[in-house]
Formats: sequence, structure tokens, C-alpha cells
Amino acid sequence: MSDTKKIRIFMTGVGGQGTLTATTLLAQTVLSQGLPVTSGEIHGMAQRGGVVESTVLIGCKSPKLGIGEADILIGFEPMETMRALPYLKKGGLVVSSIEFMPPLSVAMGKQTCPTIDDIKKAVSACTDKAYYMANQSIGLQAGAVQSGNVAMLGAVCAAGDLPFGPEALEAAIKANLPAKLQAVNLKALELGVAALNA
Amino acid sequence: MANPLLGDTPGDTHLLLGNEAIVRGAIEAGVQVVSCYPGTPSSEVPDTFYRISPEGKYYFEYSVNEKVALEVAGGATLAGALTLCTMKHVGVNVAADPLLTLCYIGAPGGLVLLSADDPGCHSSQNEQDNRIYARIAGMPVLEPASAQEAKDMTRDGLLLSKKHNSPLLLRTTTRVNHLRGAVKFGPAPDPGKAEGFKRNPSKFVPIPAFSRPMHLALMERMEALREEAENSQYNFVTGSGEYGIVCSGISRAYVADALENAGLSDRVSVLELGFSYPLPENKCLDFLKSVKEVLVVEELEPVVENDLRILAQKNGLSLKISGKDVLPRNGEFSVTMVENIIREAMGEAPVPACECTLPELPMRPPNLCAGCPHRGTYFAAKKVFGDDAVYSSDIGCYTLGILPPLQAADFLICMGSSISAGGGVARASGQTVVAFIGDSTFFHSGLTGVANAVFNSHDILIVVLDNRTTAMTGHQPNPGVDKTVIGDNDHPLDIESAVRGLGVTEVRTVNPFNQKKTLAAFEELKALSGVRVLIAKEPCPLFTRRVYKTVAPQVAYVAESCTGRFECLDRLACPAMYKEGGKAAVNPILCNGCMLCLQVCGHIKAKKRGS
Repeated sequence: MSDTKKIRIFMTGVGGQGTLTATTLLAQTVLSQGLPVTSGEIHGMAQRGGVVESTVLIGCKSPKLGIGEADILIGFEPMETMRALPYLKKGGLVVSSIEFMPPLSVAMGKQTCPTIDDIKKAVSACTDKAYYMANQSIGLQAGAVQSGNVAMLGAVCAAGDLPFGPEALEAAIKANLPAKLQAVNLKALELGVAALNA
Repeated sequence: MANPLLGDTPGDTHLLLGNEAIVRGAIEAGVQVVSCYPGTPSSEVPDTFYRISPEGKYYFEYSVNEKVALEVAGGATLAGALTLCTMKHVGVNVAADPLLTLCYIGAPGGLVLLSADDPGCHSSQNEQDNRIYARIAGMPVLEPASAQEAKDMTRDGLLLSKKHNSPLLLRTTTRVNHLRGAVKFGPAPDPGKAEGFKRNPSKFVPIPAFSRPMHLALMERMEALREEAENSQYNFVTGSGEYGIVCSGISRAYVADALENAGLSDRVSVLELGFSYPLPENKCLDFLKSVKEVLVVEELEPVVENDLRILAQKNGLSLKISGKDVLPRNGEFSVTMVENIIREAMGEAPVPACECTLPELPMRPPNLCAGCPHRGTYFAAKKVFGDDAVYSSDIGCYTLGILPPLQAADFLICMGSSISAGGGVARASGQTVVAFIGDSTFFHSGLTGVANAVFNSHDILIVVLDNRTTAMTGHQPNPGVDKTVIGDNDHPLDIESAVRGLGVTEVRTVNPFNQKKTLAAFEELKALSGVRVLIAKEPCPLFTRRVYKTVAPQVAYVAESCTGRFECLDRLACPAMYKEGGKAAVNPILCNGCMLCLQVCGHIKAKKRGS
């Protein structure tokens, strides 16, 4: 275990967004590369519109990730990216969505969300390595809004911080997703990689 | 194709959730009977057993509550069946009565009780540490820390339980139940048939004359199990050094990562206790003698710590033992938290703190889903009773009705308490009480509350929020449901007949999305006294989509005529609604088409979904 380079990935989103499905897919990708993987997630109340946080840890035993420990932060919703920033290691990689899913207090006009610029500014204080993408729009373009998560995973794989590239994710999609979902997700993967390089 | 969890495919490796790994471990042991009551973080264990049960060689049931589940399991093990019973930590309180006596009676066929504890209260009302139950009841404890161990310990725990005729506690915590990791499979033999019940009243009927020798037998059994713990592969020492750490459960993972991060693995001795009770005293004593100072790392109560302090005192050891003086007794640990304690003890600087400062961000509290029928019931109840009634709440999704603007939960004790504790409020104060209870909770322990309320002439309005499933924990069946994820319920129980059978005469059933009728029923029952029951019956929209495979044909939209009063948003707090340009708006993707909002504001209209 100690000869594997430890990489800690923190993922965050809103309940019902598919964060946990994406987490499992990424963990399966890591496992398929012959690497030791532990992944963690919190269920329950979070499913009802709360914040969902999950982890994928390569070469670690703990399924949990503490403040300042994440090498990679994947935010499926921009405000949740910002909320999770304390978990990021200084100089770590951030891949975040730019499409908001406002909490009820914001929808009701009682509070306001930070703007994308606020979020980018907060991120840039922690790291220079950040990529932003419209994951829901990309998902819709690929054929299903949920596949936007796979687009983001594709971007993470293409960013070069993992010991494997998008082709490993492509193989994991083919091996683990039901046949009828594969085409959409493979398309999303392609669009995600392209969005990173755009 | 058979589910991989059932296959006799030793050597295969699968990425499994901790809870799925527990299922696999039970199958590898040859489990014959599984009973449960669902509860997060344990729910995926019975859910998985249920889903694959058409192909499985075991008997599985969702029991109506944890006491019943453990009694079913107790009967099964007495009949010689290798048995697993699963619940969350607070469920063990419900099952405590049979549990303590079952440990006297024993488990001839083997019996493992899974208690999924929840440090940090991720989805629970408390953080209780059920390792303490094991000490009250007299049962050995296994505490996995990885998916692989969750599988292996379930298998070995079942076999150990059978070998020693002792119920065994498999104690997990949320992070173990909900981690995912690689699990290497062993063989999965055919369990065959249970041996059958063999009559022996002196062993199985705890009248006082028989209980006294049973207690002696239990204590002897625990000594034999202590020997097992001494030799268990789950208790082992790594590293070396004068600074020692003893850890159990998921804390073992935190300690391992902390030592590696700090580069201290070679300077610290670690005793990991996976088989943590009865305490392997010789192994622990040898360890305590080998170090100058020891830190005990365990979440929640100082259970192992106290055991070790006693052991040290008994043996005249004077080494420093720390634990709860430096680590918290509440909540979860993290790698960094543990690492900093170790660094300090070793004279190293702490891990640099995060410098990131953030503005206060809007919170994202969980909410009743768009189209949740409970919103309609609460809305009507508040309209009729306002703030004049005391709202007694219970355990389930509907507890989320506590949040503004509905604010329909004033107090809550435990499963089933809304009716009985509500009766207590009414009796003590004469205040108007409206008690809310879900359908699954009603069958769990609401029935006895209704019987009590009728018998003792309480003055209470009971509202059964019947959404045709157990929604909070993931749509498990309960006695009232018509349909489940794997088929129809052959014996659906009717809640209205049940309450009438218990002597309630004033019973109304409404669809809470029909506000006119719901309001009328509330008004009518408000005018009466004694025990009255309103059944608000309408399926959970998520369940409808998943199991009935249907969605409402219409969605709501806000007409141009909207005057921007926002009564709809302010009073219903439906997550599908939002403000846009001074007017209300409905997100058609989130709208579940319940049409409650149309009845609140005339400027909201219906249209065909997708149009």
C-alpha cells in the first residue's frame, strides 16, 4: 500500500444529482487500474436536497478525507465547490460545474448565492489549477443531464493528476454501466475531455 | 444471470459498499435466515438481501420493528438456522429486551446482530455507542474497518457465534457501512436446511430456576470467547516503539493513514483490535508492558480505554494511558485529528492548518421533496390548527416538516412515540395535540400507541402520513404497502381497518393533494374529542416513479398574471419553485405534478408535461 502514490479526491454536489453514482464509477476506474481504492459516501438525509459529499482515495485506508487533504476537488455544483474548498490541499486540482442549483432559501429570495466570479476568486486563492465547465448543459448535449457528471470525470482524468487517463474511464463505463446508458456517457466523456482543453 | 454476490466464485474481486460486503460475508458463511428493520446506515444490507432474494438460498424478511426482527432471528437460531439480524444503533434499544435474554438462552444455529452506529449523527437522533450493549448483554464484538473486513468478519462472526452458541455483535459505523472498497471473495457453499428445533426447556425457557445456570453458562462462554480473541487474526500488533496506540473500528484506518502521512509508522507500536470484546487481556497486557505510553483511539465512548485502564490497574502498571482526554467523545474522528495528537506526543509540529477563508454560504437543509404528499397534509393541518396545537412528530421523512414555513414538528422522542408521547402532552396539559406518524412507523410501534390512547381515553388527533412505502430509508416494504421493488405485497394490511379494530370510531381517509377535502376532514375532527384518526393517503412521488413506473401527466407553471406576492413559495416551500424577475416560477424538471400549489394560488396553472 505504501508504494502507491496516495491521491485523495473529494466530490461534492446536491442530493439527487448523481454524485454517488459518479463516485462509484470513478472508484471502479481506479480498481480496474489495479490500484488500491477506498471510497466513502454519506447517505440518508442528504438525498433530500442536502449536500452530498463523497471521496475516492487511492492508496489510503481511511474512507474519509479531512480539511486540507484533497489533491483533487470535483464540484458538481459551483456553490458546493466553494463550500468544499477547505478540503483542498494548497495547489490541488479543482474541476467544477458553473451551473447553480440554488438552495431553497435562495430560490425564495431570502439569501443570495455567490456569483461564479466570487467562486473563481475563492478558488484561485487556493490553487491555480482549476477548470470550470457547464456540466448540465454538456450532459444535455450528450443526451442526459446526469451524464454531465461523467463529462466532469472525463475532464479530471484528462487533467493529468491521476495515474490514468480518460481511456481508463472509457473502459470502466463499458464494463460497469448498463448497455443502454453507455453511448450517452461515452459521448459525455468525449465532451468533457474537449471542454477541459477548450 | 445470478447476482455476483450469490455466486460460488472464490478469488473474484468486486468493488463493494461495506453493507454489500456484509451480505456477501453472510452468504459465504451459509446464512439461512435474515431478518431486519431498515435504518440508515444499515439499510443497504437488508435491501441487498431483499433484491437478490428471489435467487438466494436464505429466508429473508422485513420485520415490523427491531424487537420483532430479533425475536424472529432468535426463533430461527433456536431452530438451528444460521441467522443474521440487522438494524441501526437506535433499533437495538427497541430490541434490547429480547437481546439480553437471548444472550442467556444462546444461539444454537448461530446469530449475528448487526448494529450500525452513527457517530456524527449523519442520519440519526443520537450517537450512542452500542459496544456498551455488548457489555450489558454479554456478547462478543467484531468491528470491521474496511469492505474486505466487513465481508470477512460477517462470515467469521456467524461461524464463531454458532461454534460458541453465543449471539455476536457486528458493530459498524456509518463510514464502514458506506465506504466502498475491493473485496476478494471466498467460497459460497450451499447452506442446506436448518437442523430444526430440539426440545430442551431447561436450556431455552428462562424461568428463574433455569436463568441462574444460564447466567453462569453465559459467563463461561465469554471466557471461551476471550481465548478466541487472544488468538484472533483480527487482533494484531504492527510497528515498534515506546509510544503505543490501541485502536478499534474505523479509527484503525485513521491511525494507519495518520502514521503514514506523518512518516511515523516505524516509531510507533499499534495494537489493532478488530475483535474488541471480550478484551484479549494477555495480548493487551503484553502490549501495555512493551510501551511507555499508550493512546487509545476509538470513536464515541471510552470503552476499550476503560477496559485497558482496569487491566493496567489490576496488573500494577503505571504507564500513561490517554484517550478521551485528548480526543473527543462526540462525533467522528479524521486522519488529521488523529495525526496531530500523535505528532504532538512525538514532539513533532502539527499539520499546517488550512488558510482558506470563506464567506458564509447559504445552507442547504434537506427538505420535503417536490410533490411530497406530506406537504399537503402539513399545509392543511397548519391552516386549521395554526400555532394553537402541539405537533407531536415521529421518525421518517416527514420529520423534515419541522423546517419553516411548515413547522409541523414540535417534539420527537423515538419511533412510534408521536402517539403515546402526544397522549402524554394532552393528558398533562389539556393542550390540543396533533400527532403525525408515517405508515411504516405506524406498524413499527404506532399500533400499541393507538391501543394505549383508546384504552386511556386520550384526547388526540392522530394523522397517519401514509405514503405507501418506507420512504426515508429507501422505499422498503412495510405491512401496508401494495407494491415493492421486487413484486406485489401478498397481504397488504389496511390502516383504516387496523385503527378501527383498535377501537377508534372517528376515522377519515383523504388524499392530501385534495386540499378542500383534507381541510374539511381536519375541521370535522377538530370539532370532536377523544382519539381521532386522519389517514392522509398518497404514494411518495419517488416511489411512484421507481416502482409504479409512472409520473404525473401534468406539471405546474406560473401564469403571466402572477402578482409577485409569493404566497406559494413562502407557505409551501416546494423545491420546484423559485423567484425570477419579481414573479414566481416552477422548474418543470423538478415539478412532480402534485398540483398542490394550484390550490394555494389561482395564478398557478397546470400544463401537459413536456409542453
